[in-house]
Amino acid sequence: MRRLPGMTTTQRRESRRAQHARGGAGARVTVRSTLIAYAFMLPFLALLVLYHTWPVFFGTYLAFTKYNIISPPEWVGLENFRTLAADSQFWSGLKNSLKYILVVPVIQLLAIGVALLVNRPLRGIGFFRTAYYVPVVTSFAVVGLIWTWMYQQDGPVNAVLGALGLHRGGSLLNNPLTALYAVMFVTLWKGIGYYMVLYLAGLQAIGKELEEAAVIDGATRWQVFLNVTLPGLRPTILVCSLLSTVSAIKVFEEIYVMTQGGPAGSTYTALFYTYSRAFVDFQYGLAAAGGIIIAVISILFGLLNFKLTRGGKADA
Amino acid sequence: MLKGAVHDQPTTVSKTAADLKARKRRRERAANLAAYLVLGVIAVIMLYPFYWTFITSLEPTGNIYQAKLLPSGVSLKNYVEVLTGTTVPFWRLILNSLIICTAGVSLTVTLAALAAYPLAKMRFPGRDLIFYAILVLMVLPNEAGLIVNYITTIKLGLLQQTSPVLDAVRQYAAVVLPGIASIVGLFLLRQAYLGVPIELIEAARIDGARELTIWRRIMLPLALPTIVAFSILEFVAYWNSFLWARIMLPDKNLMPLSAGLLELSGTFSTNSRAVMAGAVITVLPILVIFAFGQKYFMKGLEGAVKG
Repeated sequence: MRRLPGMTTTQRRESRRAQHARGGAGARVTVRSTLIAYAFMLPFLALLVLYHTWPVFFGTYLAFTKYNIISPPEWVGLENFRTLAADSQFWSGLKNSLKYILVVPVIQLLAIGVALLVNRPLRGIGFFRTAYYVPVVTSFAVVGLIWTWMYQQDGPVNAVLGALGLHRGGSLLNNPLTALYAVMFVTLWKGIGYYMVLYLAGLQAIGKELEEAAVIDGATRWQVFLNVTLPGLRPTILVCSLLSTVSAIKVFEEIYVMTQGGPAGSTYTALFYTYSRAFVDFQYGLAAAGGIIIAVISILFGLLNFKLTRGGKADA
Repeated sequence: MLKGAVHDQPTTVSKTAADLKARKRRRERAANLAAYLVLGVIAVIMLYPFYWTFITSLEPTGNIYQAKLLPSGVSLKNYVEVLTGTTVPFWRLILNSLIICTAGVSLTVTLAALAAYPLAKMRFPGRDLIFYAILVLMVLPNEAGLIVNYITTIKLGLLQQTSPVLDAVRQYAAVVLPGIASIVGLFLLRQAYLGVPIELIEAARIDGARELTIWRRIMLPLALPTIVAFSILEFVAYWNSFLWARIMLPDKNLMPLSAGLLELSGTFSTNSRAVMAGAVITVLPILVIFAFGQKYFMKGLEGAVKG
């Protein structure tokens, strides 16, 4: 007594798309098939809820409480936010986090430039694409250590700066005026290959025809770039600058490995403040409140990105 | 006169055409040369730090941080030192990383491969709701994630210390568990499953095959390229991640390699060359995997963003 659900399709022909949407012509919704479907998803969903959904809600709740893990959370209303507003350390952290966004336009412009370069049909271009991607696949633990050594007073960075006549003497990481920018350079160095690949995909999606047509119409190379290539890249630019902005505001790993917020608090960011409250002082409520403020700022800058790229629409 | 003019014209035209072509070629060659120059400078900036760390790790003595093109001497002294160091057992760190990567990758890939199947090829109430809920989760800000996950890990009792063997199992689990439900992986696999012809699945269902059999015999083999790509990306991700482990693990001997490396740089402050040797050992497997599986990185990355 085998069911033959396939027969329904011979009577009523469905489009393949509709069949796909239904999960196949043979799939009839029964309690059994529903249970099977959920059984497939159960382990994934359980961990997803525990480690991804729960933190969003519990983290938001914690921001309005006093909590140290040992005793249950105690509701304190907006007190954590008032504490943050009165803490100059948090403000200076916030200022450094916002300063860090400076890295976004630089990294995006350079990545577009590099993508244009490696998009040229040159012999051996594959080597360069690969070379630029190596820092991306390297751990920040290693990258941070390598650059800490590179930045040493008598290290290669100062040797190059000295040769260019820009030598300032000490290590860039030990100078409060330069430390944040020195760390930013590492972010740039590690991230550029990542965005390069995304822009490369964007460039290859535009296709040669449009650019060639513009050239035939007498457009200069710069005009083609400005009026054909750049508008075509706009969706990619939106995605990349969103990713880049959010990770700039949340920068942590490179600072954790290289400077620990120093010297003189010059690389101390808002997230560094937040994690210190949690993992050094065990003030989880205060830390969660800091997290919420960082999240709100991320969202605001995300919206700003949308506006600046006109929603990432290619034809604007 | 007339004859000459008729004769003359094509030659001047072809001459100027040839001239133009030569000029264009020359200009192209100059542009290519300039491009190579810029490409070369960027390549040096990207690769020299690795090279410099490598050659410095080989030097037995000398001015350690100096910029150089060749090592002042070659010995394996620093490698021996880091591998036999007693403060942080390096062999143990490598073993930890292998265990964490194996468990992490196999669980991450299996769970995503399982969960993506009904989302792509089955019909059940709540399918769209779950799919969109996961999409929303991807963009929800989760700055307190690390903090709440730490609390969760403690509440689950994963950081208790009772007996050495149980402690190790629990702490490995504490490192791996938060990363296992990968939304990107779910989307990648769902995308791969969507391309499987529905007729194959229908035929199997008519033949009375169980869904688990269909998943194992039809979906997994057909999605194999995606599974391989995703596994490689996940291996690199697990191998490279250090922050979570370093922040929460109570037992330093159970840390993965990249987290232990930071521990090392604290204890070995007298011999940075030994830490450099450790850094080289940490990067090496990733570079080998990257060299062989390069295309997967580029493809996986594009897929992840298109999601």
